[in-house]
Amino acid sequence: MVVLAAAVSAGVLLIVVLVAGWGGSGKSDVTEVDGSPSAVLYAAGHRPTAPDFSGTTLTGSKLSFSSYRGKVVVLNFWGSWCVPCRAEASTLAAVAALYRSSGVAFLGVDVRDTTASALAFTRSFGITYPSVTDPSSAITLDFTSVVPIAGTPTTLVIDRTGRIAGAVFGATTYPELATMLAKVTGKAADEAVSR
Amino acid sequence: MTDVRVTETDPFESAAPERDGRGPASAATGSFGTGDWLKWAWRQLTSMRIALVLLFLLALGSVPGSILPQQGTDPAGVQQYFSSHPALAPLLSRLGLFDVFGAPWFAAVYLLLFASLVGCVVPRTFRLAGSARTLPPQAPRNLARLPASAEYATALSPEQAAEVAARVLSGHGFRLRRSAPTGLAGSAAPTGPAGSGHWVSAEKGYLREVGNLLFHLALLGVLVAIALGGLFGYKADRLLVQGTSFSDTQTDLDEFYPGRLVTAADLPPFSITLNTFDASYITSGAQRGQPNSFDAQVSYTASPGGPTRTDRLEVNRPLSVDGAKVYLIGHGYAPEFKVTDARGQVVFDGAQPFISGTTGNFLSQGVLKVSGAEPDQLGFSGVFVPTAVDIDGTLESVFPAADNPVVSLIAYAGNLGMNSGPSQSVYQMDTAGMKQLTAAPQLLRAGQTLKLPDGQGTITFTGYQQWVSLAITHDPGQLPALICGMAALGGLLLSFVVRRRRVFVRATTSPQGTTVQVGGLARTDASGAFEDEFASLAAELRSAHQQAAQDQPAQDQAGHDQAGQDETAQPPGQAATVRHEGE
Repeated sequence: MVVLAAAVSAGVLLIVVLVAGWGGSGKSDVTEVDGSPSAVLYAAGHRPTAPDFSGTTLTGSKLSFSSYRGKVVVLNFWGSWCVPCRAEASTLAAVAALYRSSGVAFLGVDVRDTTASALAFTRSFGITYPSVTDPSSAITLDFTSVVPIAGTPTTLVIDRTGRIAGAVFGATTYPELATMLAKVTGKAADEAVSR
Repeated sequence: MTDVRVTETDPFESAAPERDGRGPASAATGSFGTGDWLKWAWRQLTSMRIALVLLFLLALGSVPGSILPQQGTDPAGVQQYFSSHPALAPLLSRLGLFDVFGAPWFAAVYLLLFASLVGCVVPRTFRLAGSARTLPPQAPRNLARLPASAEYATALSPEQAAEVAARVLSGHGFRLRRSAPTGLAGSAAPTGPAGSGHWVSAEKGYLREVGNLLFHLALLGVLVAIALGGLFGYKADRLLVQGTSFSDTQTDLDEFYPGRLVTAADLPPFSITLNTFDASYITSGAQRGQPNSFDAQVSYTASPGGPTRTDRLEVNRPLSVDGAKVYLIGHGYAPEFKVTDARGQVVFDGAQPFISGTTGNFLSQGVLKVSGAEPDQLGFSGVFVPTAVDIDGTLESVFPAADNPVVSLIAYAGNLGMNSGPSQSVYQMDTAGMKQLTAAPQLLRAGQTLKLPDGQGTITFTGYQQWVSLAITHDPGQLPALICGMAALGGLLLSFVVRRRRVFVRATTSPQGTTVQVGGLARTDASGAFEDEFASLAAELRSAHQQAAQDQPAQDQAGHDQAGQDETAQPPGQAATVRHEGE
């Protein structure tokens, strides 16, 4: 009786301890890029579908994400107030220019910002691709349901079918972006540049 | 933690051995192996004494949590404590006293208490299940020896008397056990040892055990509920300027304290817009300047694309949305500025929240960092004065409402240090790479523009907005904890109020006809209530027996007399005598 009771009690405890979060989490559908846990590529069958959105750009025109279907899109969530966004801005501007000719479109989502500050930011860093304003984080919220966006900046690489192929959580780097774009476009970085 | 009662040896519990917390020495086997030690440790852990010690430790452990500032809820307070107690603070920090509920020792106490409770409740559940199935014991031989007893004669046969007693007791909710059915009336003869015959054992008060068990299970439930809150709940803060919106996503919260198992995708996806905020203040008397009321009008959607609803937030009147509660915990002013840089570009146009101290009629401080200004970045450190009055050359706020708003600014130009390094607070500015442009603070009223020296640009104070600070909490364990708490209280009440008690009835053939003996005992009958209950039960049994004897049809009576004659040669008319005695 005592042994049985102790066994049952131990079982209950074990379940509690497991629930309490000492269980490991295996993610086989995600691979790290260049050994960095903050940059991941989703396996072909496991790419989440990017939610559609539309909004107003910093320059006041309407933009609908669905018009980008058929292109590889680099979607960058940023804000002029965010220090790491400023750190990665030059890289993004440069990579956007490099890949323009190979059908890779860059698009920004400007989070928690004022238009004047955001425009000053794009001027400062020579960013020419459009950004949709997201003052209430509505677009971010939609994406959070498919990708665990936990901070700004976050950069998503979306394939031609509108599925999220890769994500960088935090400031991105040129090697990360080049590796991801090579994977998604099927072209090596040099190839894309030489075109 | 076995039971609410303490040491009394319990005639009602015959199944499992009581947990006693005695040392290993009590094992008389001589050699004491690892298994025995483990068993002893388990017994110790699950003993009531250890559980009480752990409960006490848990209570003691939460004391520093309420005395010292906690990292989770008051990081600024912790910093302040570090600077005011430079010697003591690091020591306390090492002991985890600034994050008590996350400290390993607290978790250890918590888990041990949990283990103790589980180890106590689970065996107890088995025991109750067993005890719920067992019948009352056989009636003792001598009922007169029991704490409460009564004896009387009846005209009924012993079998009939037992039948009537069973009916009466069962009507009172007793669980019954009866002497083996005799089949033939003749076999009811007192041929066996003294004290045989027809008997009924009845027991009542199993609710006590149910209450006891409920208490323990509910206590476990409370612990589970608290753990649930810690694992799946979250707390967050958000400062929201009038006319703006935010969404409940990690990137859009100012402070975010998730539970262990909360990820960004787990937050309920609501959005809230602050339409208007009104604070009214007492305008005269000694209470002048004290707040009258706060009223935040919000519109919100529970999920993207859902219907937009409106609601009012007041202090202690939170908004409930999708399992989260949104509390209004503070408010303040956000002066609005428009800044142009040296090139004439508008580089800032919006509201910048300023923070006020607890005193000073909402005299608020803040910084404005214009990182997009070129060629030099611009920075302003400023004070917003809602109702400004010049007192001997010093600007003071004499009323918390913005009756005469003024900002006082010191301008800087240079490098804000925002292009690399760690994230920065929007309320602090690092002026190490900046040059102060104006020697004295410059005063601006709404609509006024300050031209920065050296053609560095302009800043216009365009107006102000109010902001509210919201605390968002989601605690899935709250309701379960409340329910379990109430269940624990109910269980405790039951186990205190309900007593287990037994009543035995034995009917034997005697020279007077049939003698009925009634005996009863109760556990922990401190109040003496059982004596009264027993007396009334005995009286009821007696009158029921009397009634049954009266109602007996003549035919039955004859049959009984016949049987009686066969067995004991009782003279006819005995029933009448008994009836007389009964009166």
